[in-house]
Amino acid sequence: MLFNSHSFIFLFLPVVLLGYFALGRSSNLAPVVWLALASLVFYSFGGWQFVPLLLLSIGFNYAVGYLLIARKLPSGARFAVLTIGVAGDLVVLGIFKYAGFFAGNLNALFSTGFVVNIVLPVGISFYTFTQIAFLVDAYRGNVARYALPHYALFVTYFPHLIAGPILHHKDMIPQFERPETKRPDPHLILCGLIIFAIGLFKKTCLADGIQPLVAQAFGPDAPTFAQAWIGVLAYTFQLYFDFSGYSDMAIGISLMFGIFLPLNFNSPYKAVSIVDFWRRWHMTLSQFLRDYLYIPLGGNRRGRVLRYVNLMITMLLGGLWHGAAWTFVVWGALHGVYLCINHAWSNYGLRLPPRFARVADVAGTALTFLAVVVAWVFFRAPDMATALSVLSKMARPGNVGFGRVEMVYALFVAIYAAIAWFAPNTQEIMGYDHENRTVGAGLRAPRMRPLFLYATGAVLAFGILGIQQHSEFIYFRF
Amino acid sequence: MSMASKDLWRFLCAAAAIFLLAAALNFTVDPLQLFRPARLFPAMYSADSRMQDAGLIRSQDFDTVFMGTSLAVHFRQSDIDKALGVRSLKLAMNGSTSREQAFVLGAAMDRHPKRVIWQMDDWIFRNAPEVDSDVYVPADLYRRNAKGIAGYLFSGAMARESLWIAARAIPPLEPIVARLTNGLMFKFPISRVDDINALRSDFDLAGFYNAQNAVASFKRITDSARSVSIAEGYDLDAMVRNFERDAVALIERNPDVTFEIYFAPYSILHFVAMRDASPATLKVAHEFAAYAFPLLLQFPNVRLHDFRGVKDVTHDLGNYGDVIHHSPAIDLKILSWLAERKYLVDRAAPLVSLERLKAQVEAYKVDP
Repeated sequence: MLFNSHSFIFLFLPVVLLGYFALGRSSNLAPVVWLALASLVFYSFGGWQFVPLLLLSIGFNYAVGYLLIARKLPSGARFAVLTIGVAGDLVVLGIFKYAGFFAGNLNALFSTGFVVNIVLPVGISFYTFTQIAFLVDAYRGNVARYALPHYALFVTYFPHLIAGPILHHKDMIPQFERPETKRPDPHLILCGLIIFAIGLFKKTCLADGIQPLVAQAFGPDAPTFAQAWIGVLAYTFQLYFDFSGYSDMAIGISLMFGIFLPLNFNSPYKAVSIVDFWRRWHMTLSQFLRDYLYIPLGGNRRGRVLRYVNLMITMLLGGLWHGAAWTFVVWGALHGVYLCINHAWSNYGLRLPPRFARVADVAGTALTFLAVVVAWVFFRAPDMATALSVLSKMARPGNVGFGRVEMVYALFVAIYAAIAWFAPNTQEIMGYDHENRTVGAGLRAPRMRPLFLYATGAVLAFGILGIQQHSEFIYFRF
Repeated sequence: MSMASKDLWRFLCAAAAIFLLAAALNFTVDPLQLFRPARLFPAMYSADSRMQDAGLIRSQDFDTVFMGTSLAVHFRQSDIDKALGVRSLKLAMNGSTSREQAFVLGAAMDRHPKRVIWQMDDWIFRNAPEVDSDVYVPADLYRRNAKGIAGYLFSGAMARESLWIAARAIPPLEPIVARLTNGLMFKFPISRVDDINALRSDFDLAGFYNAQNAVASFKRITDSARSVSIAEGYDLDAMVRNFERDAVALIERNPDVTFEIYFAPYSILHFVAMRDASPATLKVAHEFAAYAFPLLLQFPNVRLHDFRGVKDVTHDLGNYGDVIHHSPAIDLKILSWLAERKYLVDRAAPLVSLERLKAQVEAYKVDP
């Protein structure tokens, strides 16, 4: 089931909200069970055949977590249990996500004729990572014992289950345990609806609106210079509005239940450097990779050379996490190289006087954006040949081909760029503060409130009116 | 009621008001003319046939339906009317499958046409999924059920078109709106039914339809890297199933309607490409015709024309933009052949034209 569908907005969400708050009158546990069951129903719409795998994964990780948290095991045994747990998760992920890729590469190298066709379960990358973090924290002794319904809800919680944000148990489970979240709070419901409306608008009006232009670069015909740039820039903005729209919707939906989700985007195209970009783009994945991969690898504690090696390993695996294809590996590698250059520049580069700070920021933003755009070509292209072909067109201004059609398309792209660069983002508009669990403080100021409410009501209406048949989120396939 | 609750109601009411306003606008302007013919606002049409046909079936007067794929989509209704003495409605859709065609024709049958002219080939019967799983066909709009009507009225994209059409009806705005209406930003840029998907008068016919393009296309599809796509979907059993479900069933259900079916004059290169790059596919294509022709001719309400062996046309590569798509000049020839009932397949010897085609394909030599 999609957030951007009439059945979700007019049927599923209201029914689940009503059930949650109705059960919350008499019990603190029943709403949790209700929400977990509703989440499984939600998940089953994306492929009911994968529900047993999800349940199995929850059961397995909860059992491993129990051994790590509740049993007094010697340290060697604890490490063995952790290894079994993490390996189990990675094996399942490997089979479902990477077996076909592995077989394809074997075929290419040795002509084995070995073919693997396994359908990728929706959301497997997200719920696997979430649970690996839980196991590692349990091993480190950073986890209190959780009840099974709360743990199951933490994994399955439908606002995040399919495409994140990647949640942390320490952030979520205490919220599920609080009785206050089971009582309807009109302020949180209103703020949740507004954030959901902004996300829906981003998806149905902005991302879906610019999607046809992407074919300019990645369509069946070889693009000209102008078409290649228009198509790639269109994809750059489509991906941002699509994924950040999804994250906004997830945050908004969750807020209606009284649960604060972590932020996933913070105007990434306003980043002044690649390091800054990764603090703003898919923030929960960046945090996960930092805490559970980069730092355990040694991070920056073992000298500068190893720091760069660790960065490259982290970004390569980050790329592979997105999809089992060489294009994603190259995308990750490019970002790894960007980050290494960025860190090297910070260490060895020129230090500009403070009066040039503004100019440096503008130049940094432009350069970062350009680097990100180039990397998106690999992220979007179906294969390496297409990616290289599109990049070669982008680098050859000889065949510009800037006609009337391209002018109109360029205008579209410019409007999207202006929104991404100059408009405030959702959390700025709504005053959403995940750390302090506050939102919508500005709504309490009476002067602008009616106008703001009518405007955001219109945004919700336009978002719903913009719903098209079968418009999936790009990140569903990861 | 708390302030937050009041705000929540305000927000929801504002959203509902805009939502209903968009529906009212769509109902009033009615870009597809589903509810009434255009009177208050100028009639405008879309090149997206799968959507536009749902409205055309309701809004137009016709006694003859013209169906087909991209090979039929450029025909002008005025030419059809003139050549055949009918009042036609063109419902051809680019790249359409037999399922899509049969579904749209089925909807048109509710208006009781006397005749269907159907450009048919083996290609349309390859992969023909149900229309409800086909994202390109607004099936419920054709069915006119609650879901289809609601989807039409509560569509933001349609509201944008409605607003645009309404702006075009305001005299001072008309010239500027007409100038900006170009199909890039708006889906309803065509002001005459006859112009829907017809080639524009400034289209470079000689630059597009010439032997060079046809040969280049032949080389492209027979290139070893791409030639596998020639065989895509050519499974005889599946094609026969789709043929019986979509073509035969529709003909059977409408005995009072004359079905004038023609197999389009593809360039000979189309079959030669199969012969050279995928002989098994050519065999399937021939076997399909050998099965379909006699079956079609069992129905008294079917007239079958096979133009595939009209050597004067199919061997003259200057008539083609690639290996299958012929020029508008051939459109007119097809109409004249239909009017004169030329190249009719004989009920007593339904496979003669197929044998002629086979011989031509075997004999054809590609210039190096």
